[in-house]
Amino acid sequence: MSEQSHAVGSEAEGATSASGSWPISLTDVTVRYPNGVVALKDVSLEIEPGQMVAVVGLSGSGKSTLIRTVNGLVQPTAGTVRVGEHEMTALRGKALRHARGDIGMIFQSFNLADRTSVFRNTMVGRFSHTSTWRTVLGISSHHDRDIVMRALDSVGMLEKVWERAGALSGGQKQRVAIARALSQEPSVMLADEPVASLDPPTAHAVMHDLERINHERGLTVMVNLHLMDLARQYTTRMIGLRAGEVVFDGPAASATDADFEEIYGRPVQPRDRLDVS
Amino acid sequence: MTATDTAAPARTPALPIPPRPRQVAARAAATIVTIVVLVSFWGLDLEWSKIAQLPQDLVHYGRLMFSDPDWSMLPEAALQTWRSVSMAWIGAIAGVVLSTLLGIPAAHGVGPAWVRFPLRWSFAVIRAVPDVLIAIIILTVTGLTPFTGALALAIGGIGTHAKWTYETIEAVPPGTAEAVRASGGSLWEVVRWGLWPVAAPELMSLALYRFEINVRTSAILGLIGVGGIGAMLTQYTQHREWDVVGVLIIVVVVVTMLIDAVSGKVRRRIMEGATVRDVERKH
Repeated sequence: MSEQSHAVGSEAEGATSASGSWPISLTDVTVRYPNGVVALKDVSLEIEPGQMVAVVGLSGSGKSTLIRTVNGLVQPTAGTVRVGEHEMTALRGKALRHARGDIGMIFQSFNLADRTSVFRNTMVGRFSHTSTWRTVLGISSHHDRDIVMRALDSVGMLEKVWERAGALSGGQKQRVAIARALSQEPSVMLADEPVASLDPPTAHAVMHDLERINHERGLTVMVNLHLMDLARQYTTRMIGLRAGEVVFDGPAASATDADFEEIYGRPVQPRDRLDVS
Repeated sequence: MTATDTAAPARTPALPIPPRPRQVAARAAATIVTIVVLVSFWGLDLEWSKIAQLPQDLVHYGRLMFSDPDWSMLPEAALQTWRSVSMAWIGAIAGVVLSTLLGIPAAHGVGPAWVRFPLRWSFAVIRAVPDVLIAIIILTVTGLTPFTGALALAIGGIGTHAKWTYETIEAVPPGTAEAVRASGGSLWEVVRWGLWPVAAPELMSLALYRFEINVRTSAILGLIGVGGIGAMLTQYTQHREWDVVGVLIIVVVVVTMLIDAVSGKVRRRIMEGATVRDVERKH
């Protein structure tokens, strides 16, 4: 659909990203957890550079697992995952950490250290580019500091830089988390239910931020959602997961209620939408 | 028991009451505990007649100690208390630092099994040895000095504080650490910026609690002669100078309660998290 227009955007603003935007490719990925639960069954996906993709499914459908195989937080039992030049499933140790540095991620519960300043939290994004002893001692270079400040500024959180993360509102925390991911200068952005803990206006604001990152920086964005209207409104392609299998893959805007019922495995309910209309 | 409800007609089907579990194990345990308690009374050689006399004795010695305390000994008592508290403080700091260094690798998800288990096992061994015994072992090397006391408190503190440390680290919600890992952080970075900031308030609070415990223990350590208020107390008790003993007891109780109150306030404040305040303003 509108992927072509994003490709233009990535050329214009691509300078802010370390290596442009990358494709994501999963081939026959199966994840079986030690307790026997099969979270993903033979999932194969090709995501183009610069695409904004929603992964939709109910909780327990495997979408959290899917997004975590992309940055290697979950290692598949079978199959391969490639992100740009990295074959994530083949990497271990330092090489894996380095590859993760090129993949930003935000979470439902923000995952900031609440007792620490916004600055320190955002600085985490520079870890894969900085020597361990410097980060452990909390010494930051001018270059890293500059990147962190710019990332905070781009999400409108610069004035909060010296405040404790715990003192921020939910929406502000998620913005700091986005800044943390952006300061990695990533080529891919992952978001695991980024707005599920936020009220509707804030949810829209955060989705808007992600959309802007996709448009302006041309980053490939993969976002887990369980709400149908957010998927339709903000993403171009939608992947539906049910019980670990891909049951839908197509343009998000034109996905019908029947398509969502197929993904959810039940009739559509009011709680499947963020905005009551 | 409810089956014999006379009002219900005979036709009503019997309620499917689940069979009451037979708590054989619980009953056996209760019986054993009872026997142990009874036997231990036997072994103590209790002289019941003396218990009857106890209130009378308490009043007698209480009068000796507190009717006319020898306040001229107050400066000396304060000085010795200060030594005890210093011993407790140095012991707490050294113990907490060592416990943190040893306790974090002992946490599940940080150190590998071959590091975790020997560490946990050593903590358990240290916990099994009373602080006084540790002091007696150390004083063969360092002699009868307050330093021996501080060292014994530090080593003895590792047993419990290192255990608290790894338990606290293991109880940290995994989110922040996952975020550090997701952005390419190494194990060191995960510990430093994903686990430590989340666990630190509780660890600091436990460290202060360790200090409170040490204040009490340091008085006991004085009994074996490493100095401080405990040593003074033994000395004057042995010479039966009750008016001085009274002063010492007053000083110990007042100082301990003061430290507990202040330390408790600080701990509460740490755990609640201060009101919004700018951290790291320096940057």
